[in-house]
Amino acid sequence: MRHFFYLHAQSARSALIKILRQPFGSLLNLLMLSVALALPLSLFLAVASLQDWAGRLTATPQITLYMEQSAEAADISAVNTTLHKHPEVQSFVFISKGQALKEMETKNGLQGLSDGLGGNPLPDAFVVTPTTLDPHELDMLQKELSGLPMVESAQFDASWAKRLFALISLGHQLTWFLAGVLGAALVLVTHNTIRMQILARRDEIEVTKLIGAPDSFIRRPFMYHALWQGLVAALIAWGLTCWLALAANPAISEFARLYNEQVSLRMLRPTELAAFIAGSALLAMIGARMAADHHLRRVGPR
Amino acid sequence: MIQFDQVTKRYPGGNEALKNLSFSIETGEMVFLAGPSGAGKSTLLKLIAGIERATQGGVLVNGQNLTRMRGNQICFVRQHIGMVFQDHKILFDRNVFDNVMLPLDIIGFDRRDAARRVRAALDKVGLLGREKSMPIRLSGGEQQRLCIARAVVHRPSILLADEPSANLDRAYALDIMELFKSFHQVGATVVISAHDETLMEDYGRRIIRLREGQFAA
Repeated sequence: MRHFFYLHAQSARSALIKILRQPFGSLLNLLMLSVALALPLSLFLAVASLQDWAGRLTATPQITLYMEQSAEAADISAVNTTLHKHPEVQSFVFISKGQALKEMETKNGLQGLSDGLGGNPLPDAFVVTPTTLDPHELDMLQKELSGLPMVESAQFDASWAKRLFALISLGHQLTWFLAGVLGAALVLVTHNTIRMQILARRDEIEVTKLIGAPDSFIRRPFMYHALWQGLVAALIAWGLTCWLALAANPAISEFARLYNEQVSLRMLRPTELAAFIAGSALLAMIGARMAADHHLRRVGPR
Repeated sequence: MIQFDQVTKRYPGGNEALKNLSFSIETGEMVFLAGPSGAGKSTLLKLIAGIERATQGGVLVNGQNLTRMRGNQICFVRQHIGMVFQDHKILFDRNVFDNVMLPLDIIGFDRRDAARRVRAALDKVGLLGREKSMPIRLSGGEQQRLCIARAVVHRPSILLADEPSANLDRAYALDIMELFKSFHQVGATVVISAHDETLMEDYGRRIIRLREGQFAA
């Protein structure tokens, strides 16, 4: 077991030394990888920032529940409790028919309207602010709420929420598309670097294999090389996006201020950063593994 | 220990290096393989080490059938075999010590014990003073002995040597034969190939004579 760890530590160390020994060649490679990583990462941050901003908008879509005219206090309090317990309801206000009438009269200068109508034609209403922005979920919520007892209808204006959501989901799709394509590029670039290294160390591989080294022993140094490459490239890419955010944020806030909004590109959260670095290292190791296996198949017994 | 059961090896292109060969070598035996160049001596050794696969028949080493084994399992058989290659296969990017260390690294030897073993092996072949030298500075005979040190450092149960005395003068060749004899005396099964039979006859061991892939009369 100790030997196992020793071998791993040894491979990790010598792979790092190998990278540091050719700073120029390694740097070019690392920069290429980190640019490939920085592109989807920046887009991800842009979309995430947009989403954060959208979540903070005061004008979130609201659903208005109109009660039946015949609804009584007990029905209203039943709806009230349901809304209280509902996980997708962020907040709600109750507007009684009397309140609504009074508001209408004062706002529109129609004092004595109810007298003229011979009663209050307005229903009791709840104005519900949902937790979600997803148009599909909003639809579901609307349907559900309109099905509550003694609720006549539930209405909301979905069109702008749909538009915003579509924009964000387009951004997401673009991010994942870029991440997929450039992730594949990462795999291919490491595959190529490791292949070159394998060719440079062909004799060593042949001899170690001949005297009984298992494939894992031969693969190990290359896997570590790729691991370092993936880690460092991810860190450089992260640095690039931080720099982008710092450079662009003043202009973005200035622009947003014109619309009385507060928007800025956010940085990666620690968990996101960890996932990003791990993903990059993993992709690099996949590339290395492919290159190593390809070569090992060729030097196997005939 | 080593058993060939109707083994045929055909190379791509139709050249038959070994033709329907059956024999066995007992544990602890020392055997010479004789025959002219192209008789199939190297192929036979490569089949024992799992470097080549038999086209037909079975090759059993330590009770394991190499012909049926997958590529990545053969390495564990090789770890019990020490092989002296005809072309040495020394790594020129590391010094003598590290070359001999390689098999111990592979089987996972404790580092300090390993260093002691490497020095013992180098001492045995008379290269102890050269452990820090790069192989390119060694003479042909010294490279040969470096290859032997690497083949025995992990104390394999089988030692294979492909033409270890080629290109060496007779006195030097006898030295090397004595080395192999001493490994045989500590219990290893030893198979040595050579095209020069005069060296073997002094030892009174079994000689397998090959000619064009078959036993020579």
